[in-house]
Amino acid sequence: MVILKGKNITKRFAGLVAVDQVDFELEQGEILGLIGPNGAGKTTLVNVISGTYPPTEGEVFFKGDKIARLKAYQIGRLGISRTFQIVKPFPGMTVKENASVGAMFGAQGKERSAKEAIKEAEKILGFVGLGDQMDILADKLNIASRKRLEIAKAIAMGPDVMLLDEVMAGLNFTEIDRAIDLIKKIRDSGITILIIEHVMRAIKRVCDRIFVLHHGQKIADGSTEEVLNDKQVIKAYLGRRYKALVA
Amino acid sequence: MGNKTLRNYVICGLILLSLAFFPLFANNFIIRFGTDILMFAIMASAWNIIGGYTGYASFGNVVFFGIGAYITAVLMEKAGLNFAFAFIAAGMGSAIFAVIIGLPVLRLRGHYFAIATLGVAEAMKALVQNLDITEGNSGIYLPMLDLSVKGQYYFFFYVMLGTLVATLVVTYLVLNAKFGYSLIAIREDEDSANAIGINATYAKTLAFALSGLFTGLAGSVYAYQQAFIKPGPVFTVGSTLKMIVMAVFGGIGSLFGPLLGAVSIEVISEILSNYFLVAHTLFFGALVILSIVFIPKGITDILTQKKIGLVYFLQNIRKNRI
Amino acid sequence: MVLQIVINGLLKGGLYALMAIGMSLIWGVMDIINIAHGSFIMLGAFTTYWLFTLLGIDPVLSLIASIGILFILGYIVQKYLINLIIRASAFITLVLTFGIEIFVNNLAQVFWSADVRMVQIPYGATNFSIGNFVTIPIMRLIAFLLVIVISIILFFVLNRTNLGRSIRATSQDLDAARLVGVDVAKTYAVTFGLGVGAAGAAGTLWSILFPITPMMGGILTLKSFVVVIIGGLGSMLGPLIGGLILGVTEALGTNWLGATYENLIGFTILVLVLIIRPKGIMGGAD
Repeated sequence: MVILKGKNITKRFAGLVAVDQVDFELEQGEILGLIGPNGAGKTTLVNVISGTYPPTEGEVFFKGDKIARLKAYQIGRLGISRTFQIVKPFPGMTVKENASVGAMFGAQGKERSAKEAIKEAEKILGFVGLGDQMDILADKLNIASRKRLEIAKAIAMGPDVMLLDEVMAGLNFTEIDRAIDLIKKIRDSGITILIIEHVMRAIKRVCDRIFVLHHGQKIADGSTEEVLNDKQVIKAYLGRRYKALVA
Repeated sequence: MGNKTLRNYVICGLILLSLAFFPLFANNFIIRFGTDILMFAIMASAWNIIGGYTGYASFGNVVFFGIGAYITAVLMEKAGLNFAFAFIAAGMGSAIFAVIIGLPVLRLRGHYFAIATLGVAEAMKALVQNLDITEGNSGIYLPMLDLSVKGQYYFFFYVMLGTLVATLVVTYLVLNAKFGYSLIAIREDEDSANAIGINATYAKTLAFALSGLFTGLAGSVYAYQQAFIKPGPVFTVGSTLKMIVMAVFGGIGSLFGPLLGAVSIEVISEILSNYFLVAHTLFFGALVILSIVFIPKGITDILTQKKIGLVYFLQNIRKNRI
Repeated sequence: MVLQIVINGLLKGGLYALMAIGMSLIWGVMDIINIAHGSFIMLGAFTTYWLFTLLGIDPVLSLIASIGILFILGYIVQKYLINLIIRASAFITLVLTFGIEIFVNNLAQVFWSADVRMVQIPYGATNFSIGNFVTIPIMRLIAFLLVIVISIILFFVLNRTNLGRSIRATSQDLDAARLVGVDVAKTYAVTFGLGVGAAGAAGTLWSILFPITPMMGGILTLKSFVVVIIGGLGSMLGPLIGGLILGVTEALGTNWLGATYENLIGFTILVLVLIIRPKGIMGGAD
């Protein structure tokens, strides 16, 4: 079942076309990768989906409903959550408080009291591996933990779909492997994932399918294997001479 | 209920009791002084809701004080209503005004929000100075309270005290509920708050309305107490600055900080004016400067961190200097 | 008749613009809102008053003194006081400048008492007329010309000198400027000094035109806010345009509604501009 669909999404900013007539489909239960060179429009597309701003043209369908013109908080409550490329924890709050906010205002937020949300947050922090750092102030964490917290907040919202924006950036190899395991765990728990990434090691191991943006346009869409060997993709990323992206 | 929470409740209860019995042991002047402190504590605490917890530093909160005062004056003097009714109307009116003005103005951030609220307060003062119903610049007399002199002092003290307790209780309840978390999230990172499912517009406006409500109530009591009000004193930007200084000095973003700040600043001011008849405001200005440089986080930070001294002061400067 | 009102408004607007230029510079470059701005205008006014009263120095010549003294004062205040808290949240700086305002105003009052004073110069009230239609007070015209001269000088300094480059760099990115070797503490101090010096100049002009007292600064600060917001930050033209608009609308508005409506007009415009177009007319350099 297609849980999230974008049709003809276009986003213009005063003369610059950041996203140009992009179609995509996200099947429930899969992990879909979104790759492309810097400036390709990936984060802009995610911003459109999550409601940071509406598309100039086009429509986004979530479980069949049109959501393109809804506000960010409404989309968050409907069941789509996201992480930010430059992580945005709430600096003055502890790790536990950060995750609790997600549980309080996300998809199931309405039925929960503050206390229940805090309990839910504790569970989720254990799930992502931050169980022993719950009472530390968020701005005192290292980068890997901050990324985990960002993910925890997104999970705490109880989403059906999660948009991960370059969560691997700045992580070393060990941390990347652990992040890959976490992402798979998240998918196994029932959340469908759209992941923007530059780290090819992660993309290969985690994505079922990939679509590629370049200068705002979609230039490839298919299985991981197909896409990473596609000539156009290779040309866009690394130039004509490079033989294959697959190491 | 844990031991610590129980202990906190007991401490609060004791403080409340001693405040309640305070007037019985004091002369009229001291009672009036105490009433003034309570009034500023209300305003500082109310400011704290929008400025401290939500992070929207309003520079025009005095407008609610003035609106509350004038609603009370007009309803009691011109419509002949009693104080209870006027009091409630003043609170409601201020809250409604907060919502009306908040919707456009809360879209602004930082300095622009501050200046916009300042502009609203000054515009309102100018408007009141020119309207007939408010008697323009001549001022309005209110009916006097029909009690003995001592009775009047008691009355205003307890009404202010009750209003302060209401302000603090509501703030406390709000803080521990989801709403409180949403305010702090907005302060820390509004875009992130929106993404996480918080309706920031709704939350900010409600916070502003609460802030306006309690400030308006303080204005209402003040008007009845003074029995005569003019636009200048009840809409002066100096009051806003005073409530902000008190909140900062006591510790913004903490429940009792503003109250502590109000008590300290008023007591210090009073001592200064007794010793330095002419220059006491001068020393007050110096106090503001020194405290913002050395203890920007307020007294509450000193109390919770249990630190003080040269190292603490230098740490603060090192953190904030260019 | 209307022409005269508009001309009066333009000339008053020139004075407003002169008052606001310093605030715009400081706000635009350092993101500091200087609540004590009016106090510095007051100090400039009193500098002129005392130089005139004690030494007989012509007020227009005393411009040099008031600008110079206020520049040094502003430099010291920024370098040794405001720089200490500048990385704290924005409104902490506001509270500090509020403390400075109280301190300076009351210090002035302690020394000079609250008496109202005037700089009475013989040519202070001369006008020149254009035919029968229009009368222009000389002093206001001088204020108008002065704001243009100061704007041009500031524009020149900011855009054509190394100092100006340092200032613009620091305003865009403090840390990056520091990394390329700009002495940011000194740059901030100079900028504040320039802004306060401009306030001093405004004070000098004010003292020739109006009575002065230690507490005169408050409303001037508020009016400066209005001018800066209308005009917008980030451009030397902003305060000029803002001042002219405020001057003219006040003149026309008070003529129509009455003198007591003067403040209401200005502050209503302030709020409306912020609601509709917060950047102001020239704003958008951010």
